[in-house]
Amino acid sequence: MTLVRDIVTGTALVVLGIAMIVVAAGFPQIGAVTFGPDLFPRIIAGGLILSGLGVLLEAWRGIAPESEASSFAWLPALILCAVVAGFAVLLPVLGFHVATALALLVVVRVFGGSWLTCASVAILAPIVLHYIFYSVLRVPLPWGLLSPVAW
Amino acid sequence: MDVLAIFTAVMEPHLLLTVLLCTLYGAFVGSMPGLTATMAVALLVPFTYFMGPAQAVAAIVATTTTAIFAGDISGALLKMPGTPASAAYVEDSYILSMNGKPRTTLFTSLIAGVLGGIIGVIILAFATPQLARLSASFSSDEAFWLATLGLSCAVFVGGASVARNFASLFIGLAIATVGIDVAVGHPRYTFGLEDLYDGVSFIPAMIGLFALSELLRNAGSGEETRLGRISIEPLFTGLRDAWREIWHRKLAVLRSGVGGTVIGALPGAGADVAAWIAYALSRRFSKTPEKFGKGHIEGIVDGGAANNAAVAGAWTPALVFGIPGDSVTAIAIGVLLMKGLTPGPDIFTTDATLVYTIFGAFLVANVLMLLTGGLAVAVATHILRIPRAVLMPLVLMLSMIGAYAIMGSTMAIWIVLVLGLLGFAMAWAQIPLAPAILGIVLGKVVESNFMVSMMKAQGNLMGFFERDAAAVLGVVTLIVWGLLLVRAALEIIGRHNTLSAKDAKK
Repeated sequence: MTLVRDIVTGTALVVLGIAMIVVAAGFPQIGAVTFGPDLFPRIIAGGLILSGLGVLLEAWRGIAPESEASSFAWLPALILCAVVAGFAVLLPVLGFHVATALALLVVVRVFGGSWLTCASVAILAPIVLHYIFYSVLRVPLPWGLLSPVAW
Repeated sequence: MDVLAIFTAVMEPHLLLTVLLCTLYGAFVGSMPGLTATMAVALLVPFTYFMGPAQAVAAIVATTTTAIFAGDISGALLKMPGTPASAAYVEDSYILSMNGKPRTTLFTSLIAGVLGGIIGVIILAFATPQLARLSASFSSDEAFWLATLGLSCAVFVGGASVARNFASLFIGLAIATVGIDVAVGHPRYTFGLEDLYDGVSFIPAMIGLFALSELLRNAGSGEETRLGRISIEPLFTGLRDAWREIWHRKLAVLRSGVGGTVIGALPGAGADVAAWIAYALSRRFSKTPEKFGKGHIEGIVDGGAANNAAVAGAWTPALVFGIPGDSVTAIAIGVLLMKGLTPGPDIFTTDATLVYTIFGAFLVANVLMLLTGGLAVAVATHILRIPRAVLMPLVLMLSMIGAYAIMGSTMAIWIVLVLGLLGFAMAWAQIPLAPAILGIVLGKVVESNFMVSMMKAQGNLMGFFERDAAAVLGVVTLIVWGLLLVRAALEIIGRHNTLSAKDAKK
């Protein structure tokens, strides 16, 4: 398992470095000077490739650190990511209250809350959070669906 | 310097109230397993956006100090360190608590923490102005070397193997290259998104790396923390025994306070590393080293003093050179920059009152921590009964809304998501976070100073060594690189044991 992990990690670092160099080749040059906007990204890309090779070397020598041995459930983590992405998309459309309530409905369940907890958090939290951020801190949170009753 | 002005600024009611509230907040977040001190600060930043600079820094300082102490609470009662800084002595504190002495243990670590913190502030207040005077004449050459030295130091003390620390650093630097470049103003790696022209917005990035990544780990590991039945001694007995213990070991507090401050000042090594080293030293100097790890209070005194001292120590390079000593000061530098203040030697002449107000706030935070920390110890068992199913979702919402409040665009939430996944992947790959944070903060600084010096020297690399101070810093940096190469080689051959990345995560 640590072997697979380190081959993936090392390869990812090398690929990332190569991708940075490929993109940097398209940056504009200033005259004959050798230090344009691409110089620093090239140095960093070199570092990424070197460190990737280092991780691969560790894997080959079998001296990589052990993983934290515990079973990991992927589904809850994936749902969490989906909620974050969904919130980013829906916040301007549905408005703060509705989007927050929906997100909380899902996330409280993911963390094992009962439906009662779920409902009470989803109703109370948006109101409290809105008060703190919109009324006290004056962050222009979108109203979306609730625009007609906005204050 | 006007002493009265500083005193008035520190004693200003708004500031005191902020410090008080933040010590409560820090005590709460720090004591929850899975919520770290850095996460507490990252979630606090959107609020500091609406404060003056002194108040903002005081809030960050107060939150960190108490959160680092409060990490001991869940460590002692659940054997789950609330922050990584408490991991060094968690065995001892847990066994002591299970033997009916949770309050003695926690008060000991609280008092040690307060004293360590005060030692740290005193060193900070005396050392930084001297360092600032020394570095007042630095040009782009020295600035480049200093930042590079800071980054190299982070690789050196990063806590994993050289290859992994190096990977972390360059991931951070790669993130810093996103945005308009300093030389000709060309957008780099922005994928055509205008929101990325100013670079990856720093606060959403921190929230992603420290809050979302932890939430993802928490969601997947699914363990509900159960507080068993334990006997708890009366409050007064605990306080009295703790004070006796500290008094008996006052020299250890002094030693670990000074040591912790110095370790905290090293870029890349924070409160967690300080606690590990202080604990190891304590065992070496102890008359009864065999008792360590089996419920012995000696290591708690040392570790508790060292991790809080490190919190202050980390501010030394941050204020004087703009190089963060740990991830919290990295965030603090981001906050100061937002307020239009550039940390560096000049800040000690242009904003001297502010700097000393920060030191004052540090001192006040440590004193108030005695009260709020004590309160947290008194109600500890109740704090730990707050259900995860309510707390974690609220942390998630605060992460997203806080990031949105800073940037005013949903791009902030996407940054949180992407960097959260990155932080999660790095933890999976056993790559530490601290060097990456330094890379993100210092990437632009290193590049702009590098480019300015390159242009001055017409592309001649020897130009970086022409000024005396630059030459010294340059040679030191090259020596560190040499040492890193040797260590990397030794690791690959397999004769060198490093700390596991787990120990150094923050």
